[in-house]
Amino acid sequence: METLERIKIASVVPDNEVKDMTTQKVSVIVALKNQAEQLPELNIDLQTTFRQFGRDFEIIYVDDGSTDRTWRELLELARGWNNIKLVKLRTTFGESSVLDAGRNLACGEYIIYFTCRVNINPKDLGKLLEKIMGGADVVVGVRHPRRDSRLNQLVSKVFNAMTNHFAKLGLSDINSGVIGVRRSVLEHVPFYGALNAFIPVMARRQGYRVEEEQVEQLQGRFNQSLYPKDYIRRFLDLISVLFLSNYSKKPLHFLGFAGALFAILGAAINIYLFFYRILGIGGIAGKPMLLLGTLLLIIGIQMISIGLLGEIIIFTHAKDIQEYNIEEIIE
Amino acid sequence: MEFLKKISARSRERDSKDEQPYLSIVIPVYNEADNIELLWQSLYKVLNQLGKTFEVIFVDDGSTDGTRETLANLAHDYPAVKAILFRANFGQSAAMAAGFKKSAGQVVIAMDGDLQNDPADIPKLLARLGEGYDVVSGWRKNRQDNYLIRKVPSKIANRIICSVTDVTLHDTGCSLKAFRGDLLRRISLYGELHRFIPALLRREGARIAELPVSHHARKFGTSKYNLSRTFRVIMDLITIRFLLRHLSAPLNFFATFSFFCLFTVLLLSGFGLFAIWHDRTPFSELNILVILILLLCVTGIQFLFYGLVAKLIVQSGSRRLSDFQLFTKQTVVTGYDNFAA
Repeated sequence: METLERIKIASVVPDNEVKDMTTQKVSVIVALKNQAEQLPELNIDLQTTFRQFGRDFEIIYVDDGSTDRTWRELLELARGWNNIKLVKLRTTFGESSVLDAGRNLACGEYIIYFTCRVNINPKDLGKLLEKIMGGADVVVGVRHPRRDSRLNQLVSKVFNAMTNHFAKLGLSDINSGVIGVRRSVLEHVPFYGALNAFIPVMARRQGYRVEEEQVEQLQGRFNQSLYPKDYIRRFLDLISVLFLSNYSKKPLHFLGFAGALFAILGAAINIYLFFYRILGIGGIAGKPMLLLGTLLLIIGIQMISIGLLGEIIIFTHAKDIQEYNIEEIIE
Repeated sequence: MEFLKKISARSRERDSKDEQPYLSIVIPVYNEADNIELLWQSLYKVLNQLGKTFEVIFVDDGSTDGTRETLANLAHDYPAVKAILFRANFGQSAAMAAGFKKSAGQVVIAMDGDLQNDPADIPKLLARLGEGYDVVSGWRKNRQDNYLIRKVPSKIANRIICSVTDVTLHDTGCSLKAFRGDLLRRISLYGELHRFIPALLRREGARIAELPVSHHARKFGTSKYNLSRTFRVIMDLITIRFLLRHLSAPLNFFATFSFFCLFTVLLLSGFGLFAIWHDRTPFSELNILVILILLLCVTGIQFLFYGLVAKLIVQSGSRRLSDFQLFTKQTVVTGYDNFAA
């Protein structure tokens, strides 16, 4: 090293460390649907909880198409508090849209998002905030103890087990609907449709630090728990998340593998039948196996074709692809 | 004379201010903590003797050893060093894509971070590039690797890649390569496309040459090569072949399958009709034949539609594709004078 000429450092000190931590704002996004009665109490709880941290915060209530007095109640609240923002969606659009609408309005660096549907104790949200301020990128609220219906808990358990298995994560309550996240993470993680439930999964894939924190679930009404069809949709979402995160840039890796399997099987059957007929062992006209072989062959070839179509799409849009997530550039 | 000196001094000053170096070195690294210091020292010696402005971009692909700290220190100590740190491991193509995107040099050189490439070859690469080529690929003539595990598979892979991409090189797998910067920054790398950079550039009309380079045995760390990914490599080969050959006219590709299916349908139908009309075979005995005909018919028509959809996709993105083809073709013709190395 001594032999090398040392060059002076030119403006390379990253100034994000110098930034005053207390100036960073907190945004709490609350998804509401027909929750008029609980609203005043919820607001008081949130206000007292986040006041403790001594930093600027705002509460963004997003009314996801309520049909009761929720919106009027919200307007009433906004008159009394100056740190409240309100959003009203025209009809029910789902939790991803709520998060997106709230995020667009939020000016905080830390975002705490939760849906009233899961009825958690708002006082525990402070613990989530502490974890993000401590350096985590995403904090998932784990409902504990749980007080919703047995069926809900069971389905939730199965869903979590599957997600953990496929996505190789060790999280215990991915779909809790309570999440704390740094704003920058949301810019790199897609959550359209119903994919908001998979923010922890995709954030982990991108290399962010994902942690958990327990939140208490309150006794009370759970009249808005998810329906079975929601769980089927969620399962489909899981498949699409896995496909998107594993194969979206190389569709032929997946479709080509499955297609090749089918095609080889089909070809083997047909070759067998060919020799069966040629060597005069018997006729094949009445054999349904011929159909099976041909069908498999065709399905295989079509899968490969669709894979190639996918590759064309990706290649044509290659300019827009960024497969990586840069943590830091030092110059 | 005085005036001219002033101008050149000012332009040099501006160059350093705009940070537009002549040469960019892009080095993707993954768990190479022991090698980086040594690599930088030998690089620094060579680059300083060149007398050109340069930058060295290290791209860390989510290392878990001390690589990140070493890089951060280097980048703090030397303004010519830039370190891009990934959050997680995203693969070599992603690392190279990030490095190329960040690079600003007229010439970009890519190399490995494992000390197996020799920085002393860089002047030779530049000279060769100055002869009027757009890409100069290294050729490890005396490879210092295990014969059975590395050399033989590499030779086979090279043969296959060459015949698939129609770019004939002795050693496409050598990561020491020099490129014209403007040309290189026009291709997008994703998936495993880094293996096919010469072919992708050739598609843009690049002139490709190769040059024997020296190769050293590995000093520190282990090789990150594994044979288990053969299947995925095969799929990538099919993809690149398809993209290189058929992207301009995907309908032709799919229509070939389509016509094959429909032609078979015609033959089988003729056979069936003949059997019914001439041999008086009852229709019920031909059920398998009928189903086969239906199946092939459906497939044939579907292939036709795949072709049409493919054409639609390519056409909708064609502005993007053709724009940069046009641009690069022009620069290939006019841009040689910049390289009086």
